[in-house]
Amino acid sequence: MSTTQSDRADRGLADRLPNALVPSLSGLHMVALLIALLLLGLLVIPVAQVIFVAFQDPATGAATLQNFADFFATSLFRESFWNSFYVSAMSVVVATIIALPLAYITTRFHFSGSILIQSLGFIPLIMPPFVGAVAMQLIFGRNGTINLLLRDYFGFTIPFMDGLNGVILVQSIHYFPFILINLSASLRNIDRSMEEAAQNLGSHGLRLFRRIVFPLAMPGYIAGAALVFIKVFDDLGTPLLLNVNNMLAPQAFLRISSIGISDPMGYVISCILVVFSVLSLWASFLVMRGKDYATVQKGGGGTAKRELKFSEKVLAYGVVIFILLVVLSPHMGLLLLSFGTIWSFAPLPDAYTFQNYIIMWEGSKTYIINTVLYAGIAATLDVIIGTAIAYIVIRTGIFGRKWLDYLATAALAVPGVVLGIGYLRTFHSVDVPFTGEPLASWWVIIALALMIRRLPYALRACTAALQQVSLALEEAAESLGATKRRTIQKIVLPLMTGGILAGFVTSFATAAVELSATIMLVSSNSDAPLAYGIYLFMQTPSGRGAGAALGILAVIVVAIGTVASQFIIERDKKLKTSNAVH
Amino acid sequence: MSKAGIKIENVHLSFGQTEVLKGVNLDIKPGEFFAFLGPSGSGKSTLLRAIAGFGPNPKGRILIGDRDVVGLDPWVRNVGMVFQSYALWPHLRVRDNVAFGLKERRVPPEQITSKVDAALELVDLADLGDRMPNQLSGGQQQRIALARTIVVEPEILLLDEPLSNLDASLRVQMRRELLRLQRQLGLTTIFVTHDQEEANTTSDRMAVLDGGVIQQVGTPQELYDQPSNLFVANFLGTANILEGHVETDGDQARFVTKTGDILSLPQGGTGKNIVLRPQNIFIRQQSSANALPGKILHREFLGSQVRYLIDAGGAELVVDQTHGGGREWFDTGSEVYLSANTANAVVI
Amino acid sequence: MTNRLITSLAVLILSTGAAMADGKITIITSFPDSMTGPIEAAFEAANPQYDLEVLNKKTSAGVKFIQETSDNNTSDIFWASAPDAFEVLKNDDLLADVTIKSEGIPDMIGAYPLNDPDGKYYGFAGAGYGIMWNERYLKANGLVPAAEWDDLAKPEYHGHVGMSAPSRSGTTHLTVETLLQGDGWEQGWAKWKRVAGNFATVTERSFGVPDGVNTGNFGLGIVIDFFGFSSKASGFPVDFHYPTITALVPANVGVVSNAPNEAGAVAFIEYLLTPEGQEVLLNPAIMRLPINPATYANAPEGFPNPFEDSTIGATVKFDVAKSGARYNLVNSMFDVMITYRLDDLRETVGAIHKAEAMHADSSNAAAKAKISEAWALVEANPIDEAQSLDVDFAAIFTKKRKKVTDEVGERQAEVEARWDAMVVENYAKAKALAEEAAGM
Repeated sequence: MSTTQSDRADRGLADRLPNALVPSLSGLHMVALLIALLLLGLLVIPVAQVIFVAFQDPATGAATLQNFADFFATSLFRESFWNSFYVSAMSVVVATIIALPLAYITTRFHFSGSILIQSLGFIPLIMPPFVGAVAMQLIFGRNGTINLLLRDYFGFTIPFMDGLNGVILVQSIHYFPFILINLSASLRNIDRSMEEAAQNLGSHGLRLFRRIVFPLAMPGYIAGAALVFIKVFDDLGTPLLLNVNNMLAPQAFLRISSIGISDPMGYVISCILVVFSVLSLWASFLVMRGKDYATVQKGGGGTAKRELKFSEKVLAYGVVIFILLVVLSPHMGLLLLSFGTIWSFAPLPDAYTFQNYIIMWEGSKTYIINTVLYAGIAATLDVIIGTAIAYIVIRTGIFGRKWLDYLATAALAVPGVVLGIGYLRTFHSVDVPFTGEPLASWWVIIALALMIRRLPYALRACTAALQQVSLALEEAAESLGATKRRTIQKIVLPLMTGGILAGFVTSFATAAVELSATIMLVSSNSDAPLAYGIYLFMQTPSGRGAGAALGILAVIVVAIGTVASQFIIERDKKLKTSNAVH
Repeated sequence: MSKAGIKIENVHLSFGQTEVLKGVNLDIKPGEFFAFLGPSGSGKSTLLRAIAGFGPNPKGRILIGDRDVVGLDPWVRNVGMVFQSYALWPHLRVRDNVAFGLKERRVPPEQITSKVDAALELVDLADLGDRMPNQLSGGQQQRIALARTIVVEPEILLLDEPLSNLDASLRVQMRRELLRLQRQLGLTTIFVTHDQEEANTTSDRMAVLDGGVIQQVGTPQELYDQPSNLFVANFLGTANILEGHVETDGDQARFVTKTGDILSLPQGGTGKNIVLRPQNIFIRQQSSANALPGKILHREFLGSQVRYLIDAGGAELVVDQTHGGGREWFDTGSEVYLSANTANAVVI
Repeated sequence: MTNRLITSLAVLILSTGAAMADGKITIITSFPDSMTGPIEAAFEAANPQYDLEVLNKKTSAGVKFIQETSDNNTSDIFWASAPDAFEVLKNDDLLADVTIKSEGIPDMIGAYPLNDPDGKYYGFAGAGYGIMWNERYLKANGLVPAAEWDDLAKPEYHGHVGMSAPSRSGTTHLTVETLLQGDGWEQGWAKWKRVAGNFATVTERSFGVPDGVNTGNFGLGIVIDFFGFSSKASGFPVDFHYPTITALVPANVGVVSNAPNEAGAVAFIEYLLTPEGQEVLLNPAIMRLPINPATYANAPEGFPNPFEDSTIGATVKFDVAKSGARYNLVNSMFDVMITYRLDDLRETVGAIHKAEAMHADSSNAAAKAKISEAWALVEANPIDEAQSLDVDFAAIFTKKRKKVTDEVGERQAEVEARWDAMVVENYAKAKALAEEAAGM
């Protein structure tokens, strides 16, 4: 490839420096460097700080394991540790119990209600768990709808929401779609002949499922289960709103917010949260590697489907509808609360009104504007950085590019509360130029935290989008005279648009309802976004209805985001296949 | 192993609204190596799977021995099936894969070990028992799949395109192996393939299917020499087909092509087409009796043969001439005469 | 292109921020938006040259914040319920000495001086503590509203009461400390433990209690009065009442030392004390006791008037100094003995109630002895009042160490671990005793 004018212009500054000092760096090298610095400053350093402080004696600054010893010596923390573990594990179990029959029905039978099941995989995810928690409390709580009716008619109650049970219930209902999707996919990926070979040799029914189907579906299932485990383990909002404090994440939050950023316990807990996150992700990675049993051959995808007998059909519909009702309960509860006047010790609100929405609208303009601002900035930066990293990793040979990918993906292992604590610690002594405000309380830090938290997902989306653009397309452009930069600009980016857009929309929608990092970093109500606004509304007697109304708004935002993203991807796919871009 | 024959009586099978098997009748003798041959979509795999019990229940009867198996679950039929993808379970060792059927039949563990060893011995893979399937080559996987089926001593053996995932040289080797094994065990075997060479070289008899209907049943040589319709004629080997009509003159019959050329028909026959095989047509410089005038359109060198495409009798005929022995080649465009050995011709 | 958009947006925002700096007053407050909102609106309407920036933080978090940013202070005002939090700041020299002009404001509310004698902080409203209940819940469970703290310890309220923890809520801290001062250290803690044995839960924020009562999650709550009033005003089927032992304490406001906008801060405080400022307190979302007696003329029907009803808040004279000296220690004790071991405590007290019910007629002396022993174990404290006021001991619980050379005896974690071990053992023993007694 001959050097063109624009090529030379590309190398610019680096070109003019003596080669010995600065090796020849292309524009892409600069970008990689910039991103590396960004990730270093906004992810590595804060988290490293947190880990560092956990090992530091607060008085002398010397290295010590004393803080950890204190942690494990304190029964409250031991209890919190165990509880977090227990809740996460149980959430996985309950989520599996919900997801397994659904996955079984869709993959093994011709079930006309499959649309229902697909929507079941979507409905829970659009309601952020902490929002649903309040509504669940009203329906399943000690004196909630269900228990009041149970007590009146049958004389007993079920402690759905007592203590840890409440957290488990809310989390499993919210996260079971992860298991459902993973389980269905891995069941579908099993070649039909695997099952038929076993049937041919005399196996069938539960025995067949246990010996052949389930072991083959395991790796995919475990990947999903590990993800659910870690999300529940790290979640701050749900236990907080359910008033369950003897778990790790709420303890970290409480320690830092009531005792201060000098309290070592908050850091010890953060350390443990990070370690566990990393362990879970690593475990799921290990399980998947070398055991990817996806064996789809031509003509034989998925386990054999059979028809349902009438009695089986009734049972299947029964199970699906029951699960649907349970899954919809937080949504229904939230809706009722948002339209209700007073809901106190009664199965339903006393009366209904639009007033809450009016109050919400009048009181939430700041929250909404902030959310649009923060989530917008976060999502924009996410797709820009995600695209850059994807391109650098897939298309270039730049040294250390794999590390950019690892770093960006490592953000998955950092719980929101830990990121928040890290930022507070790292940036509270740094001032923002021109305003004299400490950086830790400047609103931009919230947007940056959201950006980092969503980056792994955006990166996945951008990577997938780039992989669909065959290298030959770039090479063709270059052979016709376009520089790297022009090629990226005119060929690669336009072809990636669908994936990038979808990534943006998902980033935006999920950043809009993030609470864990936000709650640590919001220093003033005027900086608060939606999620925090909901939290604030729920703190006053008259505000619950408005809080619920705001919650409904949040749900709508996420729902629109998810649907739009799906739509964009589908349309993009159609575009690509019709043009036979391979 | 007991030998069972297979009788298929008036079987119809539909997937939803689409009828895939349209009235199949077949009688497979015990111990026979029988092939289902046909293009994709002909229904051969569907028929095979119906015998094994996979897919929707067909109408009609399928008798294995004297048992009608229609409606029975696959796991009670005791038929052995080897899948196109081999379907070795990747999470089980080779030995455990092979032992699977025995475990399902609650065979005592010591017996399992000895049977598995014997089966592995039979397919010549005795020392691979502790490997995982993904460590085996394609050919080895196929043999393990076979071992797994044989070890449970089924009444019949069903092979669903077992060689199509192997590379060319292995295929030849494996089909000889399969045949040898089948002879040794005497199992009634059905072999599904779309490759006529495989069918020709292994089967005792075969059935050609197209569009869910059996076109013809017979030995490979019968189907090749006496195809009962144009489809079979075209499917097995290259067929040169000339349209025309038959004229009888006492006990002498001849075929008159639509271009007016005359070919003698020693065996007689009725029909509108005559089928001539490439190796039974000879290219001459001069005319003779039973000769068709033609012009050479194209020539291909195939190694042992030289293949000519010749315009004659109102069609493009493929003529193969053995290469070597001082024979001259004919140039494209030259006018020649085709002398046909009509003793082997068939009128359909 | 997108980069340019972002940069211009950033510049726009930065400049807007800078423009507002002149008339800005930064307020650190523990009051919720529902209260600060109407007051902020009224103040800005009356003083348009100022713009309030309200930062909402829990009391202890707010104190920590001011302490930590003291070198580079950005806050003008600290505004919270608890006078003891102000004491903490005053002791750290973090409150400014200012002169506030006001009219018609008395010196005392109940038995409590409204303003700090050193002029570091001022009262602007009053609040008392009491018991709130849900009428529907009580009716469904066949209960009557509890009149006194003692009543809450009764067996029939077992599992029906909610409260927050002093470590999480300045107002709850005051409630706890008030009873400790009113009944004495030993008696006070004993009562708290008996009442806590009836708790359904200890909530994370003080608002969790009225919230729980409002929704009927539990039937009774120990709350600050305005929670009760505002909940009722919002339409919930709840009611509130002061027990005899309560303190009426002012809610306070003070100027932070080295405030960026001291003039504005003073203006804000002065506004709070004007008649119209006081009137805002009667807003149904706020419902705090005004300290200007004249304002009560416009109060709604049934609203308590401490200036006319002398029973409210007169029995306890709250000693702020004492409270401040053992602030963190009391938080710690409550958490270790009650909050973290709530399940154990609740089960133990439940078992004792059962045993008492069995032996309600004083026939079985041995059983009665066991029951008293059980109570004694439950009520036992790891330290006595003298130790609670010992400066060195209390210092263990202040996590702040300004200088490396500051000596520290034991660490807080160690002390708490010791207390926890004692309490766990005691509760277990007491429960065993109670079960034995019940079996006798």
